[in-house]
Amino acid sequence: MRDALAHKGRTALAVATLVVGLVAAGALLDTWALVRRATVETYLGSHPVSATLKVEGLDAGMVDAVRGLPEVAAVRARRVAIASVDAGGGELTAQLFALADFGQRGIGEVEGVGGAWPPADGEVAIEKSSLAFSQAGVGDTLAVRAGTGPRRPLRVSGVAHDVGLAPGWMDHVVYGFVTPKTMALLGLPEAFGELQLVARDANASRDEVRAIAAKARGAIEQRGGRVSEVDVPVPGRHVHAAQMDSMLLTQGAFAAMTLLVCALLVVNMMAAILASQAREIAVMKSLGARWGQVAAMYLAFAAALGLAASALSLPVAVGIGRWYAALRGEMLNFPTAPFAIPAWTLAIQVAVGALLPVAATAALVARACRMPVAAVLRDPGIVAGDDFFVRRSAALGFLPRPLGLALGNALRKRRRMLLTIAALAAGGTVYLAAHNLRAAVLDSVDAMFAWQRYDFVARMAEAQPATALEERAASVPGVERAEAWVALRAQAAPEGSAPGYGFALLGVPPGSAVLKPAMVSGRWLDRSDARVIVVSRELARDLPGDEVELVVSGLRSTWKVAGVIDVPGQPLAYAPRASLAALRGDDRAGLVAVGLAQRAPAGELAAILQVREALEGAGMRVASTTSLREGRHAIEDHLVMVVDFLGAMAWAMIAVGGLGMASTMGLAVLERTREIGVMRALGASHLAILGLVEAEGCVIALLGWAVSLPLSLPVSGALAYAFGQVMFPVPARYLPEAAGAASWLALVLAVALVACAWPALRATRVTAARALAYA
Amino acid sequence: MIRLRAVRKDYRSPAGAFHALDDVDLEVGRGEFVAVVGRSGSGKSTLLNLLAGIDRPSAGEIVVNDAPLAGLTERALSAWRSRSVGIVFQFLQLLPTLTAAENVMLPMDFGGRWPARERERRATALLERLDVRDQAAKLPGALSGGQQQRVAVARALANEPAVVLADEPTGNLDSHNARSLLELLAQLAREGQTVVMVTHDAAAEQYATRTVRIDDGRIVA
Repeated sequence: MRDALAHKGRTALAVATLVVGLVAAGALLDTWALVRRATVETYLGSHPVSATLKVEGLDAGMVDAVRGLPEVAAVRARRVAIASVDAGGGELTAQLFALADFGQRGIGEVEGVGGAWPPADGEVAIEKSSLAFSQAGVGDTLAVRAGTGPRRPLRVSGVAHDVGLAPGWMDHVVYGFVTPKTMALLGLPEAFGELQLVARDANASRDEVRAIAAKARGAIEQRGGRVSEVDVPVPGRHVHAAQMDSMLLTQGAFAAMTLLVCALLVVNMMAAILASQAREIAVMKSLGARWGQVAAMYLAFAAALGLAASALSLPVAVGIGRWYAALRGEMLNFPTAPFAIPAWTLAIQVAVGALLPVAATAALVARACRMPVAAVLRDPGIVAGDDFFVRRSAALGFLPRPLGLALGNALRKRRRMLLTIAALAAGGTVYLAAHNLRAAVLDSVDAMFAWQRYDFVARMAEAQPATALEERAASVPGVERAEAWVALRAQAAPEGSAPGYGFALLGVPPGSAVLKPAMVSGRWLDRSDARVIVVSRELARDLPGDEVELVVSGLRSTWKVAGVIDVPGQPLAYAPRASLAALRGDDRAGLVAVGLAQRAPAGELAAILQVREALEGAGMRVASTTSLREGRHAIEDHLVMVVDFLGAMAWAMIAVGGLGMASTMGLAVLERTREIGVMRALGASHLAILGLVEAEGCVIALLGWAVSLPLSLPVSGALAYAFGQVMFPVPARYLPEAAGAASWLALVLAVALVACAWPALRATRVTAARALAYA
Repeated sequence: MIRLRAVRKDYRSPAGAFHALDDVDLEVGRGEFVAVVGRSGSGKSTLLNLLAGIDRPSAGEIVVNDAPLAGLTERALSAWRSRSVGIVFQFLQLLPTLTAAENVMLPMDFGGRWPARERERRATALLERLDVRDQAAKLPGALSGGQQQRVAVARALANEPAVVLADEPTGNLDSHNARSLLELLAQLAREGQTVVMVTHDAAAEQYATRTVRIDDGRIVA
């Protein structure tokens, strides 16, 4: 303990290293525990909907029939409508929900959290996660338009919270709650179009819920209703839960790695202490101490360091954990603030803090304490040695002498150097992997949008003749191309079975000028195609084969899958517009994709307004417009956020590496006091000594950098794979991203210079007289 | 060449002040080979440290090679040392990660007196003179004690110093190597370099042109 006090800097570095590791791991544990608690008590407490059935002709009798099923705990009817709201001189997509009873408990409970709740007729309550995005406040009036209905001013009566919805700010959608009468005011049907249910068995699997939904479907269809689509989400899983879990799992793995690196650095420090106290240990043993007694002293010291680190890290970890949990809660759209971090997580952190240094150093301490007394007392101290690696470094005579000396010095304590390199390389590996993944994600997003050669899509309030729609939009100055698309819902329906789960089906001209996708497999639509579809990768996974039975607009038909493309998000398919027209006997389209001659953000809004005006001037009312750029932002917000969190872990690991290097170099300076003194006596200036220590640090940093480059490749591959499994497929990169490698090089050198600054200054304060006396 | 006037050196410790040197006056001329002798703890090494400018006196004046050391900053002392003084240390003190030749070149790197391209040639010449040229590429750990000591002397001569200070240079050598080294130091003195050597070795005194005896921090003879 006196040694710890005598070497305050070294002790402080060891504690600081442990603190960083414990904070990183502790904060993630706290986050996980807090989000889990909030999930159970908030999300699950809201009784999330088990299944949603889209029903034509839904009436109270059907709702009662489903309610009467023994497997069903609660039922409600609702209508969902896509609309648009005016905000900030532009137009935002909105999703409106009408419920019969906003106060109904036991199923997807929605709470009022500000202003009046529930909304009255002619009012809208905004979901709190989209309030800022909507740029509206309670008491404001929002201009809302839906379908063919007129633009209606709706007063924002209050703020509601639906924990089952993904955050509106993330999805770039304004969520609003209105009464059925308000739907009617907007020109929409007042009747409900969806039936939602909650399974009685809270632990029911997805398949079990599907079976319940099938039963409900039977009950509805028995009463004359027609179920066009059934949606069964993963039970008990928030819509963003997979994304969050994968992020936390990845970060947890890196936090564990940080903790491991911290432990290795503590081993480093303990090895130096034991080496410097070998004689004291031998003397204690010669005075009668058993090796176990001596070892216990050092292990108690390690535990004391760990406890000190725990005491310092715990409040920081709790603070960061709460903050991060709140952020995650914001992404999941539920609050974590009302909940406390469970006590068991705090206990685990203290226990790990105390035991980790003990476990890490136990073998080392045992070995040092079991060394024969005579062997230690014969130890002549620091000797020159004739080491293979030092000889190899001496052979590098072309290096400038200070650099050669620094390299030789770095190679003298190889285990210590390797641990320091490992610590830096671990941080660098994650940094580079995150960089690689970020670049891959952005490239993929670029590639994904590169094939969509239009600027915005106008959604028509009602379907219009496709040719007229295209001609009218194309007549606007500045518009280079316009294509009418048919947007339908389709369901895969194997022969003899009920329709399955729905996906979007877009009817486009086969020779489309605005869609030029890169194929994952197969080919794009051909002009000669009929009853052929090209599907997204996600949909391809669910389809039984190359020939599929689909139900489109209630009509069953067989389609051939010609190709697969990458489209993030929902399952999606493209078909020739003419084939759909032939199938339905209707060549009208609900969407028009518009490409501008100048693809610049500045003129986009004006062009949207002009197109809109032109279409409406021809009696074709536009329900909403969606900019491709805006869509891209929404996707990037989701994807890049995950990668940036990984980057944050890399920073924590780099900090540990920096602390490790400071510790290593501090020990090196201490051990080489005599050599430094000799150099001073030979005329070395302050600058020469300073440069020598900094150069040694830079040599280690460069080695760490070099090691991290190849290591980052498999880690990048693994991250790309994990990312692709959960979020969106990105190509693995088999070369480090150049900008990332360059910035990591600059960063690691800066870390080395900063980490070595204090040891280097200490080295310059070594006087020759003191150093030679020290010998 | 060397002049000390009323030099005192005290060390303070919790046990009180310790007078390592007390009122020391000494003059050494160019080309002298002075042996400083005395019991262990008498102040010999302290005197050598003061002459090398690696320690400062508590009082008094020291002039070495016309430079009053008291007026020099640490930085200036480093530069002065690399120009004016060569030191042969008591223990091996060769840097273990540098070859013999590199050890000899190191003071030249610090001093900057010799252009970089000439340093290797000069180091080789010095090692040749000391009969260890064939060891130039070896690390100190691969050399015998005598060879290491010769390399250490070559290093001391690297910058052609006016003064060579040697602290117990024969302490770790066998009698043959010790004699050889003392011959070499005497030769240096004959060539005009001033040599001050601290020694316990009575035989070493025979090679010196003058012996200075220190007892309890004072020059007694």
